[in-house]
Amino acid sequence: MTTQRSLFALACAGVIVMALLPLGLDPRGYEIRILCITLLFASLGQAWNIVGGLANQISLGHAAYFGIGAYTSTILLKLFALSPWLGGMIGMALAVAFALLLSLPTARLKGHYYALATLAAGEAMRVIANSWADVTGGPVGISVPYLPDGSLWMMQFPTVLPNYYLFLAALVVVCLIFWKIKTGALGYRLRAIKENEQAAEVIGVDTYRAKLIAACVSAAITAFLGTLYAQFQFFFDPDTIFGVATISVKMALIAILGGVGRLSGPLVGAAFIIPMEEIANSYFGSSAAGLSQFAYGAILVLVILLNPHGLTALFGQISARFTRKGATRDRSIA
Amino acid sequence: MTVPLLEVSHLTRRFGGLVAVNDVSFRVDAGEIVGLIGPNGAGKTTLFNLLTGVYPPSSGDIRLNGEASGGLKSHRIARRGMTKTFQNVALFMESSVLDNVVTGGLLHNSLPDARDKARRILDRVGLSAIADVRAGDLSFPERARVEVARALCTEPKLLLLDEVMAALTPAEMEEVIDLVRSLRDEGTTFIVVEHHMKAVMKLCERLLVLNFGELIADGTPEEIGRNERVIEAYLGANFAKTHAAQPVEAT
Repeated sequence: MTTQRSLFALACAGVIVMALLPLGLDPRGYEIRILCITLLFASLGQAWNIVGGLANQISLGHAAYFGIGAYTSTILLKLFALSPWLGGMIGMALAVAFALLLSLPTARLKGHYYALATLAAGEAMRVIANSWADVTGGPVGISVPYLPDGSLWMMQFPTVLPNYYLFLAALVVVCLIFWKIKTGALGYRLRAIKENEQAAEVIGVDTYRAKLIAACVSAAITAFLGTLYAQFQFFFDPDTIFGVATISVKMALIAILGGVGRLSGPLVGAAFIIPMEEIANSYFGSSAAGLSQFAYGAILVLVILLNPHGLTALFGQISARFTRKGATRDRSIA
Repeated sequence: MTVPLLEVSHLTRRFGGLVAVNDVSFRVDAGEIVGLIGPNGAGKTTLFNLLTGVYPPSSGDIRLNGEASGGLKSHRIARRGMTKTFQNVALFMESSVLDNVVTGGLLHNSLPDARDKARRILDRVGLSAIADVRAGDLSFPERARVEVARALCTEPKLLLLDEVMAALTPAEMEEVIDLVRSLRDEGTTFIVVEHHMKAVMKLCERLLVLNFGELIADGTPEEIGRNERVIEAYLGANFAKTHAAQPVEAT
């Protein structure tokens, strides 16, 4: 109980620090945009963590949901001037429908086969968005119509600061959902699936249903984050929004690098990956396009070889060594 | 005539050219403790896997409480009251002992109720002291006990125990025998696969004998001990001699 309470205090302190952080920055500047993207990808990593972390269903196709969310709200805003809040909810519903459809062929797949099938689904969405130019604008991309008198209802603001707080609020909500699932009955079922699917079935876990619920929640969150991203960037094209390296792999990498299945994992992963990527991009510029993809692969291999539980576990092990706590009975790493 | 708890008729399972379970028929009534014995590879575990829906039968019929359950998914069979422990131990190794058992309890309970139930069951099987230990850190006999506790937490009417006494000391075996008997007295029915013949003879009131996938005998331990086919296939002449000299009292 005391650890629960101190974790809660730590989380509150973290939110307060993050809320105060941008006040010292230029609200139209470059740094605050990087912080926004970091928050967004922490949320995306956490959404991925529900399926990939708790149930070990390694999806490499979450860009499909992200893009569905971004395109749905943007197209509805363009055509009907519909608020992105409502468009985002319709996007969530479409993403859930896509997750249900995708579960038909993929629910029985495990490991590499599941990863490859989801990868293909994400790519299929990219191809569709590129070819269906009448609706999506095709390969040239789509712009979010700019409304000079921005408002919260239309999710458009004169500076990036409100976007920042929107992203921070989204991260808090996604983390709460993740924590609720992880510590609830569904979390037990997903862990049972992760650790021994056959045994889970025999003791009464409806494994198909549990995976389906987790996939739908994850898809819905990812889609709404797509809407938030669209209202922040004002422009995107199929290759970035449905991209394997730009979205799908990055979401997985952030959760895996930070610590798969842990609440803190995607937070640590995003805080590491996004700024590093920005620094690398500004340092190498366009002379090394594609370098980040290479770096993702290298990081993923290193994590899996050196410490499959990720950075958070590594911190835990280091601090345990210093405090000598749990040196004898280090049975679980919190 | 009452409906048997479990009725298996002409059950067959083929793996390619191999007939692992061949035209097996038997019934189990509520309140029985039935032993399932036979040489290695006779099809005992395959039979358990067919009953619990791990594999679908190739042909034949399984009725649980009068309702057909052959070919159903495992979780639906568990919901109807039949589950099993795993011979090779299939715990959730990264989770604590308590969490393993809680997961079974979620079949019929909310999470808080499943926690209470799991704690009571851990008490009952004598695992409370290690409730918070990671299952992967346990010894083999401890793991087998957690298997039993997890299965019990699903509130089974019929529990299939697959070699839970392997690697136990004689004293530990006595404990398991007492536990199974007291659970039976509270209404759980058991089918038990075990290689330790003394324990089987002591625990079970009726034995089924499988050999090369076929059911070759079905009777009381005394009858099985005298059965020529069983002696030839499994027990061996030595066992039959000592067994005839000092008959085991069946309860």
